Amino acid sequence: MKVKILLFWWHAVAAWTWDAQDETCGICRMAFDGCCPDCKLPGDDCPLIWGACNHAFHLHCILKWVNSQTSQAHCPMCRREWQFKG
Amino acid sequence: MVDFARVQKELQECSRDIERSGIKVVPKSDANLACLLGTIPGPIGTPYEGGTFQIDISLPDAYPFEPPKMQFTTKVWHPNISSQSGAICLDILKDQWSPALTLKTALLSVQALLSAPQPDDPQDAVVAQQYLRDYQTFVGTARYWTESFAKSSSIGIDEKVKRLVEMGFPEGRARSALETVGGDENLALETLCSG
Repeated sequence: MKVKILLFWWHAVAAWTWDAQDETCGICRMAFDGCCPDCKLPGDDCPLIWGACNHAFHLHCILKWVNSQTSQAHCPMCRREWQFKG
Repeated sequence: MVDFARVQKELQECSRDIERSGIKVVPKSDANLACLLGTIPGPIGTPYEGGTFQIDISLPDAYPFEPPKMQFTTKVWHPNISSQSGAICLDILKDQWSPALTLKTALLSVQALLSAPQPDDPQDAVVAQQYLRDYQTFVGTARYWTESFAKSSSIGIDEKVKRLVEMGFPEGRARSALETVGGDENLALETLCSG
Protein backbone atom coordinates (compact mmCIF):
# COMPACT_ATOMS: atom_id res chain seq x y z
CA MET A 1 0.00 0.00 0.00
CA LYS A 2 1.27 3.40 -0.84
CA VAL A 3 0.29 6.53 1.02
CA LYS A 4 0.63 9.78 -0.72
CA ILE A 5 1.36 12.66 1.63
CA LEU A 6 1.04 16.16 0.45
CA LEU A 7 3.23 18.57 2.34
CA PHE A 8 1.95 22.12 2.40
CA TRP A 9 4.68 23.61 4.52
CA TRP A 10 7.39 22.62 6.92
CA HIS A 11 9.28 24.51 9.55
CA ALA A 12 12.92 23.62 10.18
CA VAL A 13 14.72 24.65 13.35
CA ALA A 14 18.48 24.45 13.70
CA ALA A 15 20.71 25.29 16.60
CA TRP A 16 24.41 26.01 16.44
CA THR A 17 27.15 26.45 18.96
CA TRP A 18 30.90 26.94 18.86
CA ASP A 19 32.75 23.80 19.87
CA ALA A 20 35.07 25.38 22.43
CA GLN A 21 35.99 23.99 25.84
CA ASP A 22 35.03 27.17 27.63
CA GLU A 23 31.73 29.01 27.60
CA THR A 24 33.09 32.53 27.62
CA CYS A 25 35.95 34.37 25.96
CA GLY A 26 38.75 34.91 28.49
CA ILE A 27 39.41 38.38 27.09
CA CYS A 28 36.01 40.11 26.84
CA ARG A 29 34.16 37.68 29.19
CA MET A 30 31.26 37.47 26.74
CA ALA A 31 29.77 34.11 25.79
CA PHE A 32 31.44 32.39 22.85
CA ASP A 33 27.99 31.94 21.39
CA GLY A 34 27.55 35.68 21.63
CA CYS A 35 29.97 38.07 20.02
CA CYS A 36 32.83 40.34 21.00
CA PRO A 37 31.98 43.82 22.36
CA ASP A 38 32.62 45.42 18.96
CA CYS A 39 30.18 43.22 17.02
CA LYS A 40 26.40 43.14 16.90
CA LEU A 41 25.68 39.63 15.65
CA PRO A 42 27.29 36.33 16.61
CA GLY A 43 28.29 33.80 13.98
CA ASP A 44 30.50 34.00 10.94
CA ASP A 45 31.15 37.72 11.33
CA CYS A 46 32.62 37.28 14.81
CA PRO A 47 34.34 33.90 14.67
CA LEU A 48 36.37 32.06 17.26
CA ILE A 49 39.99 31.29 16.69
CA TRP A 50 42.23 28.72 18.37
CA GLY A 51 45.85 29.05 19.37
CA ALA A 52 48.49 26.32 19.08
CA CYS A 53 47.93 25.87 22.84
CA ASN A 54 44.25 25.05 22.12
CA HIS A 55 42.87 28.11 23.91
CA ALA A 56 40.04 29.79 22.04
CA PHE A 57 39.08 33.47 21.87
CA HIS A 58 36.92 35.70 19.73
CA LEU A 59 39.13 36.48 16.72
CA HIS A 60 38.63 40.21 17.23
CA CYS A 61 39.62 40.00 20.92
CA ILE A 62 42.84 38.05 20.40
CA LEU A 63 43.81 40.28 17.45
CA LYS A 64 43.47 43.34 19.68
CA TRP A 65 45.70 41.67 22.27
CA VAL A 66 48.32 40.51 19.73
CA ASN A 67 48.40 43.96 18.10
CA SER A 68 48.78 45.69 21.47
CA GLN A 69 51.98 43.78 22.24
CA THR A 70 55.25 45.27 21.00
CA SER A 71 57.14 41.98 21.21
CA GLN A 72 55.95 38.38 20.87
CA ALA A 73 52.42 38.04 22.26
CA HIS A 74 51.61 35.29 24.73
CA CYS A 75 48.38 33.38 25.21
CA PRO A 76 46.31 35.26 27.81
CA MET A 77 45.34 31.98 29.46
CA CYS A 78 48.56 29.93 29.62
CA ARG A 79 51.28 32.46 28.66
CA ARG A 80 52.67 30.23 25.93
CA GLU A 81 53.89 32.09 22.87
CA TRP A 82 50.76 32.85 20.89
CA GLN A 83 50.59 31.08 17.53
CA PHE A 84 47.40 30.74 15.52
CA LYS A 85 46.55 27.08 15.14
CA GLY A 86 47.34 26.07 11.58
CA MET B 1 37.82 53.08 25.16
CA VAL B 2 37.52 50.99 28.32
CA ASP B 3 35.42 47.83 27.84
CA PHE B 4 32.76 48.89 30.36
CA ALA B 5 30.59 45.84 29.67
CA ARG B 6 33.41 43.71 31.01
CA VAL B 7 34.03 46.04 33.97
CA GLN B 8 30.34 45.86 34.87
CA LYS B 9 30.48 42.05 34.75
CA GLU B 10 33.59 42.02 36.88
CA LEU B 11 31.98 44.23 39.53
CA GLN B 12 28.94 41.94 39.66
CA GLU B 13 31.05 38.79 39.93
CA CYS B 14 33.19 40.35 42.61
CA SER B 15 30.23 41.38 44.75
CA ARG B 16 28.75 37.88 44.42
CA ASP B 17 31.48 36.19 46.45
CA ILE B 18 32.61 39.02 48.66
CA GLU B 19 31.73 36.90 51.71
CA ARG B 20 34.25 34.27 50.71
CA SER B 21 37.08 36.37 49.29
CA GLY B 22 36.70 39.55 51.36
CA ILE B 23 37.74 41.40 48.23
CA LYS B 24 35.62 44.40 47.33
CA VAL B 25 35.63 46.62 44.26
CA VAL B 26 33.27 49.58 43.96
CA PRO B 27 33.12 52.54 41.58
CA LYS B 28 34.09 55.83 43.21
CA SER B 29 31.10 57.40 41.47
CA ASP B 30 28.31 55.98 39.35
CA ALA B 31 29.24 58.38 36.58
CA ASN B 32 32.67 56.94 35.86
CA LEU B 33 33.45 53.22 35.93
CA ALA B 34 37.13 53.89 35.19
CA CYS B 35 37.80 55.13 38.75
CA LEU B 36 37.33 52.39 41.33
CA LEU B 37 38.12 51.63 44.93
CA GLY B 38 39.37 48.18 45.93
CA THR B 39 39.48 46.76 49.45
CA ILE B 40 41.48 43.73 50.61
CA PRO B 41 41.77 42.17 54.06
CA GLY B 42 45.29 41.70 55.41
CA PRO B 43 46.27 38.01 55.11
CA ILE B 44 45.99 35.93 58.28
CA GLY B 45 49.32 35.04 59.90
CA THR B 46 51.07 38.17 58.60
CA PRO B 47 51.75 41.54 60.26
CA TYR B 48 48.87 42.83 58.12
CA GLU B 49 46.28 40.54 59.74
CA GLY B 50 43.20 42.35 60.99
CA GLY B 51 43.79 45.32 58.73
CA THR B 52 41.63 46.46 55.85
CA PHE B 53 43.60 47.98 53.00
CA GLN B 54 42.19 50.35 50.42
CA ILE B 55 43.55 50.48 46.92
CA ASP B 56 42.87 53.20 44.39
CA ILE B 57 42.19 51.69 40.95
CA SER B 58 42.11 53.57 37.67
CA LEU B 59 41.48 51.83 34.37
CA PRO B 60 43.43 52.97 31.30
CA ASP B 61 41.48 53.45 28.05
CA ALA B 62 42.88 50.22 26.67
CA TYR B 63 41.71 48.07 29.62
CA PRO B 64 41.68 45.00 29.58
CA PHE B 65 44.54 45.10 27.07
CA GLU B 66 46.56 47.21 29.51
CA PRO B 67 46.79 46.54 33.26
CA PRO B 68 44.70 48.54 35.74
CA LYS B 69 46.67 51.15 37.69
CA MET B 70 46.63 50.28 41.38
CA GLN B 71 48.00 52.17 44.35
CA PHE B 72 47.50 51.75 48.08
CA THR B 73 45.71 54.66 49.74
CA THR B 74 46.06 52.98 53.13
CA LYS B 75 49.60 53.40 54.44
CA VAL B 76 51.42 50.07 54.51
CA TRP B 77 54.91 48.96 55.57
CA HIS B 78 56.06 46.40 52.98
CA PRO B 79 59.22 46.01 50.86
CA ASN B 80 57.30 46.06 47.57
CA ILE B 81 54.95 48.93 48.39
CA SER B 82 56.12 52.51 48.72
CA SER B 83 55.65 53.71 52.29
CA GLN B 84 55.41 57.23 50.85
CA SER B 85 53.10 56.92 47.85
CA GLY B 86 51.50 53.48 48.09
CA ALA B 87 52.90 52.50 44.66
CA ILE B 88 52.95 48.72 44.16
CA CYS B 89 55.78 46.75 42.57
CA LEU B 90 54.09 43.67 41.12
CA ASP B 91 54.89 42.09 37.76
CA ILE B 92 51.29 41.32 36.77
CA LEU B 93 50.45 45.02 37.12
CA LYS B 94 53.25 45.74 34.66
CA ASP B 95 54.79 43.58 31.92
CA GLN B 96 53.23 40.30 33.06
CA TRP B 97 49.65 41.55 32.71
CA SER B 98 47.26 39.33 30.74
CA PRO B 99 43.76 40.30 29.59
CA ALA B 100 42.53 37.05 31.15
CA LEU B 101 43.30 38.55 34.57
CA THR B 102 40.58 40.58 36.29
CA LEU B 103 40.38 43.28 38.95
CA LYS B 104 39.60 40.54 41.45
CA THR B 105 42.50 38.26 40.49
CA ALA B 106 44.83 41.27 40.42
CA LEU B 107 43.72 42.26 43.94
CA LEU B 108 44.18 38.63 45.04
CA SER B 109 47.76 38.87 43.74
CA VAL B 110 48.29 42.09 45.70
CA GLN B 111 46.96 40.28 48.78
CA ALA B 112 49.38 37.40 48.08
CA LEU B 113 52.19 39.95 47.80
CA LEU B 114 51.40 41.04 51.37
CA SER B 115 51.95 37.41 52.44
CA ALA B 116 55.13 36.95 50.42
CA PRO B 117 57.36 40.05 50.29
CA GLN B 118 60.11 40.08 47.63
CA PRO B 119 62.85 42.22 49.26
CA ASP B 120 65.25 41.59 46.36
CA ASP B 121 63.00 43.55 44.01
CA PRO B 122 61.99 46.41 46.30
CA GLN B 123 59.72 49.37 45.75
CA ASP B 124 60.75 50.87 49.08
CA ALA B 125 64.50 50.44 49.69
CA VAL B 126 64.31 51.47 53.37
CA VAL B 127 61.66 48.86 54.18
CA ALA B 128 63.45 46.19 52.13
CA GLN B 129 66.73 46.84 53.94
CA GLN B 130 65.01 46.60 57.31
CA TYR B 131 63.30 43.38 56.21
CA LEU B 132 66.65 41.83 55.29
CA ARG B 133 68.77 43.16 58.16
CA ASP B 134 66.38 43.26 61.10
CA TYR B 135 63.34 41.10 60.43
CA GLN B 136 61.88 41.46 63.97
CA THR B 137 61.84 45.25 63.75
CA PHE B 138 60.28 44.98 60.29
CA VAL B 139 57.45 42.82 61.65
CA GLY B 140 56.94 45.24 64.54
CA THR B 141 56.76 48.28 62.27
CA ALA B 142 54.48 46.56 59.77
CA ARG B 143 52.15 45.51 62.58
CA TYR B 144 52.18 48.99 64.09
CA TRP B 145 51.31 50.54 60.73
CA THR B 146 48.46 48.03 60.34
CA GLU B 147 47.15 48.98 63.78
CA SER B 148 47.52 52.70 63.13
CA PHE B 149 46.30 53.02 59.57
CA ALA B 150 44.43 49.89 58.46
CA LYS B 151 42.04 49.19 61.33
CA SER B 152 38.49 50.39 60.72
CA SER B 153 38.70 52.39 63.94
CA SER B 154 41.75 54.23 62.60
CA ILE B 155 40.18 55.08 59.24
CA GLY B 156 39.35 58.76 59.26
CA ILE B 157 41.04 59.27 62.63
CA ASP B 158 42.65 62.49 61.42
CA GLU B 159 39.23 63.90 60.60
CA LYS B 160 37.99 63.05 64.11
CA VAL B 161 41.08 64.55 65.73
CA LYS B 162 40.55 67.69 63.69
CA ARG B 163 36.94 68.02 64.83
CA LEU B 164 37.93 67.58 68.50
CA VAL B 165 40.70 70.17 68.09
CA GLU B 166 38.13 72.56 66.63
CA MET B 167 36.09 72.10 69.82
CA GLY B 168 39.09 73.39 71.72
CA PHE B 169 40.93 70.25 72.89
CA PRO B 170 44.71 69.97 72.43
CA GLU B 171 45.61 67.67 69.52
CA GLY B 172 47.74 65.26 71.57
CA ARG B 173 45.00 64.69 74.14
CA ALA B 174 42.32 64.35 71.44
CA ARG B 175 44.35 61.72 69.61
CA SER B 176 45.16 59.66 72.70
CA ALA B 177 41.54 59.85 73.89
CA LEU B 178 40.40 58.52 70.51
CA GLU B 179 42.98 55.73 70.67
CA THR B 180 41.87 54.68 74.18
CA VAL B 181 38.21 54.34 73.17
CA GLY B 182 38.98 52.64 69.88
CA GLY B 183 38.13 55.54 67.57
CA ASP B 184 34.61 56.35 68.82
CA GLU B 185 34.27 60.11 68.57
CA ASN B 186 31.48 60.48 71.15
CA LEU B 187 33.23 58.32 73.76
CA ALA B 188 36.43 60.27 73.17
CA LEU B 189 34.53 63.52 73.73
CA GLU B 190 33.13 62.18 77.02
CA THR B 191 36.62 61.16 78.17
CA LEU B 192 38.00 64.56 77.28
CA CYS B 193 35.18 66.40 79.09
CA SER B 194 35.41 64.29 82.23
CA GLY B 195 39.20 64.30 82.31
